[in-house]
This record gives sequence, C-alpha cells and structure tokens, in this order.
Amino acid sequence: MTFVSLVFRNLFRQRMRTVLTVVGISVGIAIVVALGAITGGLKDTAGAMLREGGADFMVARKGSADLTFSTVSEQEWAAVASTEGVERATGVLLHVTRHGSNAFFPLLGIRPAQLGEGPPELVAGRLLATGATDEVMLGESGAADTKSAPGSLVTIDGKPLRVVGIFRSENVFYDSGGYAPLATVQRLARKPGVVTAVYVAAADGTDPARLASAIENAFPDLTTVASVGEYGKVDQGIQVMDALNLAVSVLAVALGAIAVMNTMIMAVFERTREFGILRAVGWRGSRIMRLVLTEALFLCLVAAALGAVFGVLATRGVMLIEEIRSFLEPTYSPDVFLRAVLIAAGVGLVGALYPAYRAVRLSPMEALRHE
Amino acid sequence: MSSAPAIACVDVVKTYEEGRIRALSGMSLHVEPAEFVAVVGPSGCGKSTLLHLIAALDRPDGGEIHVAGHDLARERNLDHYRARHVGMIFQLHNLLPTLNALENVQVPMFELGIRASSRRERARHLLALVGLAERERNRPAELSGGERQRVAIARALANEPSVLLADEPTGSLDSEAGRVVLDLLERVRADRETTLVLVTHDGTVAARADRIVRMLDGRVDELPPTRPMARPATAVAST
Repeated sequence: MTFVSLVFRNLFRQRMRTVLTVVGISVGIAIVVALGAITGGLKDTAGAMLREGGADFMVARKGSADLTFSTVSEQEWAAVASTEGVERATGVLLHVTRHGSNAFFPLLGIRPAQLGEGPPELVAGRLLATGATDEVMLGESGAADTKSAPGSLVTIDGKPLRVVGIFRSENVFYDSGGYAPLATVQRLARKPGVVTAVYVAAADGTDPARLASAIENAFPDLTTVASVGEYGKVDQGIQVMDALNLAVSVLAVALGAIAVMNTMIMAVFERTREFGILRAVGWRGSRIMRLVLTEALFLCLVAAALGAVFGVLATRGVMLIEEIRSFLEPTYSPDVFLRAVLIAAGVGLVGALYPAYRAVRLSPMEALRHE
Repeated sequence: MSSAPAIACVDVVKTYEEGRIRALSGMSLHVEPAEFVAVVGPSGCGKSTLLHLIAALDRPDGGEIHVAGHDLARERNLDHYRARHVGMIFQLHNLLPTLNALENVQVPMFELGIRASSRRERARHLLALVGLAERERNRPAELSGGERQRVAIARALANEPSVLLADEPTGSLDSEAGRVVLDLLERVRADRETTLVLVTHDGTVAARADRIVRMLDGRVDELPPTRPMARPATAVAST
C-alpha cells in the first residue's frame, strides 16, 4: 500500500459523490477549454490578417470596435504610402456578406495590381487582371461551397462576377472568401473611397517598429497593429472573448472550488474518527493534510482530463454548424490545456484547504470520540 | 533503581468541561522498562484518561509525564513521539474499515519513511506473529472481534515501540478470544522486552500482570503485587 493507493481508496468510497463532483468540475473546465480554443482560432485569424501580403504591420482606424468598421480614406492611404521608409502600402477593403451557404463570406477588395505583390497560393486559374471590375478569385472552401471553378459566374450582393482563379489559404476565414477588385467591393459595400486597412511593408534597412511609430505620429486618427496582442486597438472582439474567457475561468474556479469543498468537507466529516486513528498511530497533521489535498487534487485533475475531452467535443460539435465553420477553426494549443490543468489544480487546492485544515484541527482524542 | 523508569507520571491533573469534571487529580505512577502493569478501577476513575495522556493523545492540565526519556509537556513533536515510542491498542480495535489487515498494519509505518515493499514485508511478519498470516487480505468487517484485536496489536507493534498501551483490549471479546489476545500481549512483552500498561476492570486479566495499580477518583490506590516480580514495585500513591 502506498500513499497514492490510499488516496484512490478514499476517493472510491463514495463513488457516486466522486463521479458527480468530477462531472461538475469537468463541465466548467470544458467551457474553459472550448472558449480557449475558439479564442485561439480567432487570434489565428487575426494573425493571418496581419500577415496579409507579407506586410510588417497593418494601419487602421484607431478605436474601431470591429475591424470591419475601420475606414481609412484613400487620401490617408496615399499619405501612408508616401511616408519615408514604406516599401509597399496595400489597401484592402474587407466586406463581409452572405454568399452561398456562408453568412460571413469575406470579400476582400484589393487593387489587382497590388495582389501580385504578395499573392495568395493559386491552385487554379489566375490572379485578378489589372483594370478588371467583374472578376473574383475564390478560396478553395468558398469555391467548393458554391461549386465554382475558374470560368464560373457567381453573384455577390446582386453583382455577377466571373471566377478567374481559386486560391488556398491556411486560414479558414480567408479560404471561405474571395478577392475582388477594390472599386467593385467599394461599390458593393457602399464604401466609396475608403479601405478597411492598409498593409505596410517596410523598405530594406527601415525598422518596422520605428516606421509604425512615425505613421502613428503623423496620423493621430490611425493606429498600427504589428501583432495579435495589439489587435485590440482596432477590434475589440478578441478582447471581449478574452474577457469572457477570464470571467468563465474565474466562475469555473469559484463554482468548482465550492463543489470540491462540499465534497471534501463531507468526506472529512465522515472520516473524522479515522483521522483520529491516524493521529493516534503517529501520522503527522501535515501528512493528513496532504492526504486530503491530494485526494482533492486528483479529483480535479481527472476532471481536467475529462473537461478537456468534453471541451474538444463541444467545439467539434459547434463546428458542425456550417456558418461557424466558414470563419472559425478552433486552435487547440498546449496553453489551452495547460490553463485547464492549472485551473483544475487551483480549484482542488482552494476547495480542499479548509477541509484539510478541519481534518487536522481536532486533537487525536477529540477525533477518536467522533461518532 | 538501576535505570530510568519507562513511564513516570507525577501529579498529573486532567479536567474536562472547564474544570467541572476532574478525571485525574494528582495522579502519580512509575513503570519500569519491560514491566507489565495492569491499571484497574471502577468506571470513570480515570484509567483510560491516564492511558490517553501517556499516549499523548491528549494533554494534561497539570503535572509531568515522562515516557522513554521524553517529557511530554516539552515534547514539540508529539506525532513523532506517538509514531516511534508508543503503540496503542484500543478496546474497539479502531482499524480503518476500508483497508485490509495487511494494510492496516502498514499504516503507522508511513511515518518511518521506509519503502512500500519493506512496509509490506514487516506487516506480513507481524501478522504472522499474531497468527493471522492467512487473513491478511481480509478487511476488519470480515474478521472476528478477537482477530481484529490481534490485527490492532500487530499495528501497535509496527514501529517497534518501547511502550505498549492497551485500553481494555479484551473488553469486547469473549473469554477465549480474550485469553488469546492476552497470551499474545504477554508473549510480545516478553520477547521484545516491551513495557506494557494495560487498563482493565477484569480481575482475571489484571492478575496476569507483574503489578496491579488500582485507581480511584483519579488517583492511584496501589495493591500488593499479584505474583513474584523481578523488580520492585515503583508505583507511588499520590500525595
């Protein structure tokens, strides 16, 4: 018999209570994992947007609640492009509309000449022709959704467009969308003379960070975004998700801790006499405390494992919804699961501290008298 | 006296309920190493309280208790003392119900810091010593009263204590089971030269001891030795 086998033995005494506690905590952990994976997916999408066309950073309207609300005028774009140290400044208008079965079809308006400066991976057909107004390139999944191929005619927001090429993107959001000439998209989006953001590539020998700083100084109403961490400057969606994630994590810890505390207090109360016996045969209070804490910790780590599985299954379930699948691919990064484990461990320790203290508070004799 | 007493209690006082109940009123007792002392007396005279104080399961309100060279009033690590120096046998075995006999005997050994395999081997040896080698896989509920008490004795011996304390060890057993338990305790005491203090209200049980200490109203009221002893009796009546 080892200390660990003693822990197992104690946990399996009240099987139903243990199982219900584990399930309760695992539901909280599952939500944490699912939200973490979804937020991670959104961040990946944001990261892909930032790297559009091999840019060093993106310039957009400061304080936009969502990137699609950002508008940078063509005059501002031109001024940014003429800033010293700018190698390339590509204006992109992001227009999200319904197309086929996709309620969030991202149509990116770009000057065809600039598409060639950092082209997407072409799998069929060709890029947009310079000067074209009625052409569109579709991502692979976007094309599959509408069963389109080069030469097909698709109608987006009532405008017939000829599919000239199919591209592939690792990002599901882009892969479900398409590129069309900027002027065409400005008309469809009813946003004449503006783009959503300008993607800037710094010239050789120019420090991108200094260039970004110079642009921010020159254009007080615009802001630069070089990393996902700065994305909140132009889109609070991820910040909202992060805040939601944190709130859910805190709630999961609080509710889980209450569940663990309830279970462990009951277990400790029922075993008061046994703790007296252990003290009588020489067990240190710290060993008994360790026994109770380890039981709680084990309970929570099992819940973490179960919750991780539930969380992945839940996100996979969400991904069965066509409209969500078109713009989101959950990211199951190690930190999502690490956070689940840490939360579970926190729940176990917080929830079991008082019961553990209770287990060693009584003198051996008081504990032995307990019926 | 040639050596220090195994147990020395001097003017020990223990009260309950904020002093309203006086369990021990200046109790003094000396027990020599390897001596077998039976403590007898009517219910409520303080016999079990005395044993619990010697086992450091409770603290006295006054007086001094020295066991195996440890001044319990000054002993900072009573858990260590309980683990290493005393073995306690209760009237109701107090075995852990979810553990089998072998595991119950191993429980005190966790404090020795020895490997699980060594704990298991030592527990097997002790169960064989108390005649329960074949019952090591049985839980307390599957054992008879006498068998449970023998497991409790094996557990009390687990850490090779110098003092064994038995609180009515035969009190809940039939006479045959009681006799087996007493034979075992006597044999262990003789083989290991362990000091044995046994609390009982049964005269026939007490008669097997080297010396009987009679308690009344929380004090010692000593009777003459019941049989010839190698050592002089050292119990002293409280002043």
